Amino acid sequence: MRDLPFLIRFFRVVPPVPPMMTGTFLVLTLASAAVVVVNPVRAPGALVPVLLLQVFAAASGFALPARRGHFDLLLTRGSSRTLIALVHWAMSIAPGLASWLVLAVVESGVRGATDASLLASGTCAAVFVVSTLPWALTVALPRFSGAIGWVLVSVTAVTFSSGLTGSWALHSTRIDEVIWAALTFLIYPVGAIGQPLAGAQLTAALPAVTAAIGTMTAACGWIARRDIPLEAAQ
Amino acid sequence: MTLTVSVRGLAIHYGRRLVFQDVSFDLAAGQAAGIVGANGCGKTTLLRAIAGCVTPRSGEIRINGLMPRDAIARTGVAYFGGEATLPGSVRAAQWGTLGAGDDVTQEGRRLRTLSRGTRQLLGLRTVLGRHPLGLILLDEPWEALDPDGSRWLSAMLETKRDRGAAVVLSSHRLHDLAGLCDLYVFLLPHNATVLPAHEIVSVGPVPAHHLTRAFDRLRGGPLSLRAT
Repeated sequence: MRDLPFLIRFFRVVPPVPPMMTGTFLVLTLASAAVVVVNPVRAPGALVPVLLLQVFAAASGFALPARRGHFDLLLTRGSSRTLIALVHWAMSIAPGLASWLVLAVVESGVRGATDASLLASGTCAAVFVVSTLPWALTVALPRFSGAIGWVLVSVTAVTFSSGLTGSWALHSTRIDEVIWAALTFLIYPVGAIGQPLAGAQLTAALPAVTAAIGTMTAACGWIARRDIPLEAAQ
Repeated sequence: MTLTVSVRGLAIHYGRRLVFQDVSFDLAAGQAAGIVGANGCGKTTLLRAIAGCVTPRSGEIRINGLMPRDAIARTGVAYFGGEATLPGSVRAAQWGTLGAGDDVTQEGRRLRTLSRGTRQLLGLRTVLGRHPLGLILLDEPWEALDPDGSRWLSAMLETKRDRGAAVVLSSHRLHDLAGLCDLYVFLLPHNATVLPAHEIVSVGPVPAHHLTRAFDRLRGGPLSLRAT
């Protein structure tokens, strides 16, 4: 842990999220905040573009820059590889998290903290899933790969199942409905923005959250164990 | 603490492809080893294996008796794989602060806009700025440097070595390696030969032409002569 300040400094100098994308977050945050101030009821919708951008920001890719030697200064310093992975993840999702928190604070200011949809448990779960799964899926792949794959699956699922985006609103605890809702949350988590998670909806959200934690653990383990030869030396 | 690097029967494969095998040598603190070999013979891979980035298929590397990944956490290591490994979008001055934390350069331009030699020098100054340094691993460090840069690097390496760092260098520039190293690791197709400096010349530093002759003898003559 004594290396933590250096790891943070390193990933500030070599940011996993391109500066232009961080700038886009800034613009989106300002525009979404304006929407929230003018019409607070539309706050859940204002967060959707931020989370969509977060899917791409989190899909930052680790292996490729590492194999190009960009992280040599870190990898040959003796820092824990797991810690390196966690800091890389944290720095990948930081702009999106900051954007979400700013919008949540703005909404709380306008509507009051108890009515803030952007701090609802469904929103927190959605932010967690879109901030972890794309990072974990893209660790060994080129930048944006996991995000492109996920968006492709989401668009395909929405196209072939028109009721998908609305199926998050569970009306019963029937097992087939809960399974369908769980699948919906995994593929299209932004549907849960503003929803409180309780009862069947909490059950439906658990598989996606568990999958996010599982893939995250696997990705950190992969970075910790994997050899990192230079791309040009193979 | 006296640092020792021990390499025993090392063999590395990429998939099914054998990069090299049977590499063994010992290096103590205050000594330098030069890795010599043709393109693609595994010089970079050997350095990365010592740095803990590549795991050997067989054989072992020990640094002070520890596996490389455990050892580098306890030993100050300077590893530099060449200017091509620097991220081009980063500003030079920012990269320079990642070494010892001091400003290495005031240059505000992005690395990709600098000349190869300037990038190489910046990369070297950044890693060599760390202290204390117990182990220095440099891959083609003289590549792209101008004469002033080359002289600075040779003098810096001699100083670090004389202060007790173990130094492992790979280079095609035998005239730069000659005289600096205590032993030479010749990586040949599928095997390696290690010659201490005193076996190449009995007294004094190894002149470059002796090193070239030793390399040619081990691989059966220079490439151009073998082709005819």
